[in-house]
Amino acid sequence: MQVAYESDQTAAPAPATARRAGGRNGVDLCAAIPGLRSVLKWRPLQFWLSWVNLVFFAAFMAAGLFGSPVGSHNIMIVFVWILWWFLLITLLVPFLSRIWCTMCPLPSFGEWLQRLRFIGVWVGNGPAKQRTRFFGLSRAWPKALQNIWLQNVGFLGLAVFSALLVTRPIVSTAVLGGMIVLALGLSLVYRQRAFCMYLCPVSGFLGLYSMTATVAIRVKDRELCRGHKEKECLLGCAKGYGCPWFQYVGTMERNNYCGMCLECFKTCPYDNVTLYLRPFCSETTLKGVDEAFKAFIMVALALVYSITLLGPWGVVKDWANASESGNWAGFAIYAGSVVGLCLVLFPSLHLGAAALGRRLAAVHAVKLKAVFVGFAYAWVPLGLLAWVAFSVPLVMVNGAYILLVLSDPMGRGWDLLGTATVQWHPIFPEWIPLVQVPLLLVGLFLALSRSLRVSQRLFGELSAAVPAVIPIWGLATVVTAVFMVFFVG
Amino acid sequence: MSDVPISPSVRQVEDRQRFALGLAVATAVAIGATVGTLALDQTEPPQDRQILVRARQYAYDPPVIRANRGDRLFLKLVALDVVHGFFLEGYDLDVEITPQQNKFKVRHPSRHDDWAEQEEVIVVVDKPGKFRFRCSHTCGSLHPFMSGELIVEPNHVLHAGLGAGGGLFLGSVVIAWRRAHRASRVRV
Repeated sequence: MQVAYESDQTAAPAPATARRAGGRNGVDLCAAIPGLRSVLKWRPLQFWLSWVNLVFFAAFMAAGLFGSPVGSHNIMIVFVWILWWFLLITLLVPFLSRIWCTMCPLPSFGEWLQRLRFIGVWVGNGPAKQRTRFFGLSRAWPKALQNIWLQNVGFLGLAVFSALLVTRPIVSTAVLGGMIVLALGLSLVYRQRAFCMYLCPVSGFLGLYSMTATVAIRVKDRELCRGHKEKECLLGCAKGYGCPWFQYVGTMERNNYCGMCLECFKTCPYDNVTLYLRPFCSETTLKGVDEAFKAFIMVALALVYSITLLGPWGVVKDWANASESGNWAGFAIYAGSVVGLCLVLFPSLHLGAAALGRRLAAVHAVKLKAVFVGFAYAWVPLGLLAWVAFSVPLVMVNGAYILLVLSDPMGRGWDLLGTATVQWHPIFPEWIPLVQVPLLLVGLFLALSRSLRVSQRLFGELSAAVPAVIPIWGLATVVTAVFMVFFVG
Repeated sequence: MSDVPISPSVRQVEDRQRFALGLAVATAVAIGATVGTLALDQTEPPQDRQILVRARQYAYDPPVIRANRGDRLFLKLVALDVVHGFFLEGYDLDVEITPQQNKFKVRHPSRHDDWAEQEEVIVVVDKPGKFRFRCSHTCGSLHPFMSGELIVEPNHVLHAGLGAGGGLFLGSVVIAWRRAHRASRVRV
């Protein structure tokens, strides 16, 4: 990953739909919806969103600490790993990009400490009075780690222990609490949102899948930014902080590292920053092997979770649940298989398909690494839709637990809202396959169509782009079939 | 990069091309789904099957029950460790299984009837597809993920889905190949 200061799609024309919709970025929602710009520029917005979230989060943490150890009777597990996950993956990311990062409570303490303010802007005196100030060392993040490898490793590490994480309230509390402490500590040493940008395991996949999102923060007129010397959006001013995610909105082309903190709306003196509505899966450029591996890891983990959590095989559950079953040798096999699938087997299959495609295209000027990284985009829509197909049954089957923990969040026998005695009953479970198969087919369609777009960008002529992409298409089709077999077969 | 105005005629051509492309893809998917269903669906005469299901934390043995549409399943259920449930999706059946007891409690959730003690439960599998049976009594940490599968052939949804995926792939190859061929002819 490089911090995206350069345009990533200069060679590719904007999609016809985007052009038709009213500009290269889509429909300007701030122009279309009266009052939206004022809301987005309202300085306390992010504070209140994250504060409200923090109140709920603190309640969940308390339930995790002091409530029932049975996950299905504890609001920490039911709300975080069933409801929040479902909302995040099916609605928030595909439609609202990284809106979760706008309100995420995990980095809030660190950010407030850095700024020594909840809402206002801390500006310097004298010559520096136009620049924002921060408490702490404000060091730059090490250059060698300016990528998402740590996020990849962190997410994979959590995934290996997922049977523990998503079923034990105390473990969830410890992990989420640990992330708050880590974010706080890093905020005292490193500049702005270093934790979110380079370490947060959730941020990694939010960034990847936000490329598909139907909204994007972009500038209206790039020429205006080019001629504007002060660059308040980067450096900050009395109205707001420079981008905490180290992005320059003037040339930003991808959602990956835009945490939607909305500071650029506040700092831009020309109101040149806006929110665009655009077609699903508009961005198709991955940058760097780290992002490609994030795409592999996410698809592979969707498969792993489908087998471990949704599958019927007790042996696999015993291996994954070693802290209870005591089968640590099995856990070693499980962990090795998960890591091997994510980091070796799946990337190797992808590499083979990319190499074969490059050979079929017979355009040797295009480097294999570029093909490997570029075609990894195929796994972004397919992975997202596979995760949606995985998550839909979670809510349809376990929705009754949501009602239960609303009345008895700690599993202490309370009945606050009169729903504590609701009998567990899945919601239309026989419809689940009929939802999952179309979702997977949509994912496959998007993978095929968008990877052809990538191939055209890489190889130029269709006569080379089409043969180049066919092996990846074949692999995507096989992977889709494997998901179908696990979900409905 | 500034916005380039697009003339209505270009838009119409783009729209027409997109519509044709969408139609071609949809046709390929439909043909694939039909072929998949016809090729993979197999029907066998119904039969009776005696099945002993052992429930333990957090799985059933056998994990997968395979049957054909019309089969009668004579299910006996035992719990090996703690009290478990056996909620069969799509067949309105919920069972409570207590360890070291030959009988188990059965009810039909949609009828809101009382539990009835039985030694065997008979299910006529008249609906094809995949149906999960799940534990309906909290039995431990992985309880929400304790499930097994009843697969009733012919599994139309799977076969149609696999066929549709194959159709999408083959249709895309043909369409893209034709476009590439046409583009190279135009260039010549």
